[in-house]
Amino acid sequence: MSIRINVTVNGVAFSHEVEPRLLLVNYLRDVLRLTGTHVGCDTSSCGACTIHVNGKATKSCTMLAVQADGCEITTIEGIAPSDDELHPLQEGFRECHGLQCGFCTPGMIMTAADILQNNPNPSEEEIRVGLEGNFCRCTGYHNIVKSVQYAAHKMKEVTV
Amino acid sequence: MQLTGNHVVEASPAKVWALLMDTDTLARIVPGVTKLEKIDDTTFKSTLGVKLGPVSAAFNGNLQMENVMEEKGFTLKIQQNSKVGNASAAIEISLTPLEETKTAIAFNGDVKLSGMLATMGQRLIGGVANTLSKQFFSNMEKELLP
Amino acid sequence: MSTTHGLIGKSVKRVEDRRFITGHGKYTDDIILPGQTYASFVRSPYAHAKILSVDTNAAASMPGVVAIFTGADVENVNGVPCGWQVNFKNGHHMKEPKHPLLVADKAKHVGDAIAIVIAESQAEAVDAAEAIVVEYEELPAIVDASKAVEDGAPQVHDSAPNNICFDWALGNPIEEVDAAIAASAHVTTLDFVNQRLVPNAIEPRAYNASYDQYNDKYTLYTSTQNPHLIRLLMCAFVLGIPEHRVRVVGPDVGGGFGSKIFHYTEEALLTWCTHKLRRPVKWTSTRSESFLLDAHGRDHITKADMGFDASGNITALRVKTYANLGAYLSTFASCVPSYLHGTLLQGLYTTPKINIDLVAVFTNTTAVDAYRGAGRPEATYLLERLLDLAAHEMNMDPAELRFKNFIPPFDGVTQPGYQTQVALQYDSGNYHGVLEKGLAMLGYEDFRKAQKEAANNGKLLGVGFSTYIEACGIAPSAVVGSLGARAGLYEVGHVRVQPSGKISVYTGAHSHGQGHETTFAQVVADKLGLPMEDVEIVHGDSEAVAFGMGTYGSRSLAVGGSAIIKSLEKVIEKGKKIAAHKFEANPEDVDFVEGRFVVKGTHHSAPFSDIALRAYVPHHYPAGLEPGLDFSSFYDPANFTYPFGCHIAVVEVDKETGKVQLTRFVAVDDVGNIINPMIVEGQIHGGVVQGVGQALFEGAEYDENGQLTNGSYMDYCMPRADDFPMIETASQVTPCPHNPLGVKGAGEAGCIGSTPAVVNAVIDALWSGGHKVKDIRMPLTSERVWRAMQQ
Ligand code: FES
Ligand code: FES
Repeated sequence: MSIRINVTVNGVAFSHEVEPRLLLVNYLRDVLRLTGTHVGCDTSSCGACTIHVNGKATKSCTMLAVQADGCEITTIEGIAPSDDELHPLQEGFRECHGLQCGFCTPGMIMTAADILQNNPNPSEEEIRVGLEGNFCRCTGYHNIVKSVQYAAHKMKEVTV
Repeated sequence: MQLTGNHVVEASPAKVWALLMDTDTLARIVPGVTKLEKIDDTTFKSTLGVKLGPVSAAFNGNLQMENVMEEKGFTLKIQQNSKVGNASAAIEISLTPLEETKTAIAFNGDVKLSGMLATMGQRLIGGVANTLSKQFFSNMEKELLP
Repeated sequence: MSTTHGLIGKSVKRVEDRRFITGHGKYTDDIILPGQTYASFVRSPYAHAKILSVDTNAAASMPGVVAIFTGADVENVNGVPCGWQVNFKNGHHMKEPKHPLLVADKAKHVGDAIAIVIAESQAEAVDAAEAIVVEYEELPAIVDASKAVEDGAPQVHDSAPNNICFDWALGNPIEEVDAAIAASAHVTTLDFVNQRLVPNAIEPRAYNASYDQYNDKYTLYTSTQNPHLIRLLMCAFVLGIPEHRVRVVGPDVGGGFGSKIFHYTEEALLTWCTHKLRRPVKWTSTRSESFLLDAHGRDHITKADMGFDASGNITALRVKTYANLGAYLSTFASCVPSYLHGTLLQGLYTTPKINIDLVAVFTNTTAVDAYRGAGRPEATYLLERLLDLAAHEMNMDPAELRFKNFIPPFDGVTQPGYQTQVALQYDSGNYHGVLEKGLAMLGYEDFRKAQKEAANNGKLLGVGFSTYIEACGIAPSAVVGSLGARAGLYEVGHVRVQPSGKISVYTGAHSHGQGHETTFAQVVADKLGLPMEDVEIVHGDSEAVAFGMGTYGSRSLAVGGSAIIKSLEKVIEKGKKIAAHKFEANPEDVDFVEGRFVVKGTHHSAPFSDIALRAYVPHHYPAGLEPGLDFSSFYDPANFTYPFGCHIAVVEVDKETGKVQLTRFVAVDDVGNIINPMIVEGQIHGGVVQGVGQALFEGAEYDENGQLTNGSYMDYCMPRADDFPMIETASQVTPCPHNPLGVKGAGEAGCIGSTPAVVNAVIDALWSGGHKVKDIRMPLTSERVWRAMQQ
């Protein structure tokens, strides 16, 4: 038994018949082939699968594809203003060496974007607490925190 | 993991014993039982559904009574298998008459978990076992109501 | 355009980042091949059980099922091999029980694979696997390595009596060490456990194997740190298929930390299955499976005694260790507790007598192998804990005690290397330097004052030191060969100059976070005087790169980088000949300066690109001059490299709850010359957090039945962003005297140095409050620290 869903992903409308048990993350990865969203665990703990659903950071492994029916979704592939530009967070991660293997990076960036949306001026502490649900085994978080600070700074410059 | 507890019910040992020996009643009072089938005098086949935090599972297996001492107690041997791991236990159940219509039921045993049940469920099983035994006794009390 | 020279030593931003930050990295699980099938496994829920029957009937007829294989099907296939042979003290070979692709008779740890189901979709494979019925007879299990050797303990393998894989000793004769300890004015003794860790790279292991029957060609995509090694082990030792028929690709890999070095059964099994089915087969581990299957790290039970004379000079060190290898011998499991651990027990100190006695043991647990640092963190933990504890016991300052015992500085060029009591010869070192720098960064005197004050106000502050050394740049083939390695540990570097003068470099090293595409390009661009964008680094594909040993043991730049340098030298040599021909000069009169070939004493010169073109358009070449500009080299290091450093942790311990807060972490590392400081710092940060993870949060817990009771992220405590302060790093540079770049390696340093520093800091905090505690078992949870204070 399949169910039809309509979703908008990175600004593009999609309509698919999906199995009711299909996780949103698998819909994105296997059906839409947007493989920038990663799977790092099976207990909703690691944050590698974080995307935005209706503008809010969400772990896409905790949601069924059918639950996303009618939703606006943004993944790492769609966070930059255009293909030739970078989001300030993407730039921040590169400038501050906020990634090594890159596996946690999409989830980190999506979570960080949510943090900055709610709090454009986060302290180091607030960034660290905000990233608490995202694991990184490579960077020791040090440069990830700096990357977010870089982006916060940059985004302020832009809005001024 | 050690499983111990006791409870006093308002009924004579004979009445409690009769309850425990009746398949249909047992199926009603043991929490999570979806099917209980008597194979012979001391062996049952069972299907149970239990939720352990993130893990919920359907168990299939046997319940076996050993050392049956009429109206005094028995040892319940449990072997239950599921997709997420298996559970086995030997639990001693004893009935002690307190008054004419009061019986103390005590249980004491060891439960062994394996597979995902052990990796993910261990932390929670103490609490779950507590809830289940509470449910068991409250179900039993309902059965005992006139 | 980036600057054309002086690239070495610059924090150049990473080339590879663009694809990762935009979500366009390509990891193994991202690959779906035409006709793809998916695998799922039936795994033993018991740590030790006879398999009585496996019933696949119901599963076989379920929707989407393509095939099911069980242990019986692969009975005649070899198991996965071990790459390093260690001998018993009596000279006999270590025990190497078969590690089959699927078990048929007996499961030996939870997660042991009993059957594989291959289906049209992942969900169908999982459904069918659940429908397979296995009947087991559970057997008693053994978990603890020191108990496994006792008579009457459950036997994991019939072929390894008392569960002993091998026993082993190294160093001075034990009688001499015993005598030196007995004659010591003070002896510090520690009985401790270096607990088992789960590596937890965030990308779970994944494989995708395919077979093209018309070309008789296999392709295996694998999340590995060393594709060529996997191909070698799988083809030659397991499946017996010719290597030239097999392409192994390690695409983007999401972290390894050792756990993706090893040849796992699933790699070979999927390759075997794809040949049977003529369809690609893919498997991606779930995190729950990773916890049970990815080789774990550490797990030593140790008793150590360190002797001192009356003025605090170390007189001797005696170590007895039980190393838990788990149920099977993983690829490098045997060398980790022996040659990568025992050989580092000299530390930075002049200890005149050292002996280690080791027993390596099988148990009904997940296999244990190299995990970031591999043996060296265990050695460092042992030494550095002893040093700080001895200082407390003798009422000396722990920094002073170290200064007193350090090996004096030596550069390895004008002064010889330092010969240790445990086989190695250190290359170059300045150990006083890193500790002095660390103390200055910390503000040591001020800290001690603050600590006293805090203690008076009922607060517990502590500082802990760790001055470590590691053997990296793995490894000189002759040395490791004589110690039992079944492979050489050289590296391959191939430089292909394209006709336009752009460079493709093929390296046998593999990047899974280390940033080789940047660092290596920096080296090449710098040497050739070219912009970085003219250089491309290719790695991870056995078809593109001639051969390689991969990335681990902080070896990539020291060994792989050196191989590239060798090829670059050949390119320049040949370029000089071509330039000489162009200018009708003598090749000896041609210099290569800042990207140009220059005829000495003339105004004749040609840019690199011009000579490159001439190499491929060889009109009017003289006899004997071959066209082309393309060189490959093997570099086999002359020695290990020996990075070292000083890590200092500051903690605050809550008196009421025992909670430990890490408030500062200072790391001064000497990794030799540095190509890209930004990347080196990043490696240190990551390593430090992993090391602190061991000290404060992580540890695999087994119950007595061999069940891993914290096998998920809900129970295994991973270090998180909010557990840490910013890390204060600095470097000192003592170049490696024996490789062309003077580099030593930086990948493991952070993880090796940090663990004992943190534990020492907690112990120091407790002593400052009058609790004379010798040891607290890691991880130092609030409960354990609180209990220690109640004693
Ligand atoms: S994959 Fe979603 S939280 Fe780990
Ligand atoms: S960069 Fe590798 S897990 Fe974060």
